[in-house]
Amino acid sequence: MAELDPVIHAAARLRITATLARIPPGDRMSFPRLQELLDMTAGNLSTHLRRLEEAGYVEVAKTHSGRTPVTYLSLSTSGRRAFEDYTETLRLLLGETS
Amino acid sequence: MPDSPHHDHDPQDHDSHHDPDPDPDPDPDPDPDPDPAEMLALLEQQERRVDATLLSPVPWLYAIWGIAWLVGFLLLWSGWPGGNPWFSVPLPIAGISFGVLILGSIVASAVIGMRINAGVRGASDFPGAVYGISWSASGFAFALLGMGLISNGLSPELASVYFPSAYALMAGTLYFAGAALWRDKSQLALGIVLLVLGSVAPFFGQPTNNLVMALGGGGAFLVGAGIMAARLRRTGS
Repeated sequence: MAELDPVIHAAARLRITATLARIPPGDRMSFPRLQELLDMTAGNLSTHLRRLEEAGYVEVAKTHSGRTPVTYLSLSTSGRRAFEDYTETLRLLLGETS
Repeated sequence: MPDSPHHDHDPQDHDSHHDPDPDPDPDPDPDPDPDPAEMLALLEQQERRVDATLLSPVPWLYAIWGIAWLVGFLLLWSGWPGGNPWFSVPLPIAGISFGVLILGSIVASAVIGMRINAGVRGASDFPGAVYGISWSASGFAFALLGMGLISNGLSPELASVYFPSAYALMAGTLYFAGAALWRDKSQLALGIVLLVLGSVAPFFGQPTNNLVMALGGGGAFLVGAGIMAARLRRTGS
């Protein structure tokens, strides 16, 4: 039977990955905007982002907006692929055809 | 607030540091094997939430433009002799009010557009910026053409046929481009309505062409606002 990717198969990381998958490839989302769309604490979000980054699923880019440091997050190619595989496996497990 | 502390601390240090809970839970995965059906529901719920949040300003955008077209062109129609049979507005006041309504809508669109795109950067920056500039650039070009026609002897009556149609054709064309860029059928529908209005309105004669613009253009934007708001309410719940 198909295995669900344990990196994504956790409520918080699934929601993070789903949110980042919603923006087109080549775009990245700022940490505060991601936090707003997820309603997670900064600490909790950081913890899960770190796990996703370690798995190579999330890319972190640090820039500056004036003097303020801003962190941008995006799914890597393998992250996007892993999310698509996860979704497909989930639907297969649940007996959905599409 | 530090923007992203996740590189500087061990996650568990970080959690215990920020949560002075007597029984902190350092495990970020409290449920090691969540139910697939629940996860699929969670996934779809989050996707709907992101879409609803990102698109939530769009009904406001359409409503603002709908009111600007409806009120602005009704004022112009009421400013010309042979226009509104119920009341009339001095033409200079109608013209200035129209300009203020349109400029206000442009400012509101820019603010709302930035809000929709807040916190997202990257490959879509260039198409987004080009599209944003295309409105003011083509608006300026069409206005200049109108002034050129006036300086070549175009009468005020004919100018009031040219400007509304030129404006509708410009906006209609740009909505086609917007529909293509964002794969958005609501913009395609608006584009079609505006192209039809802009090309057909002159046949109604001046100043009735302004009434056609007010009801057709304003109506289309307001209907669009209603449809988008209803759709967002469905997906957001």
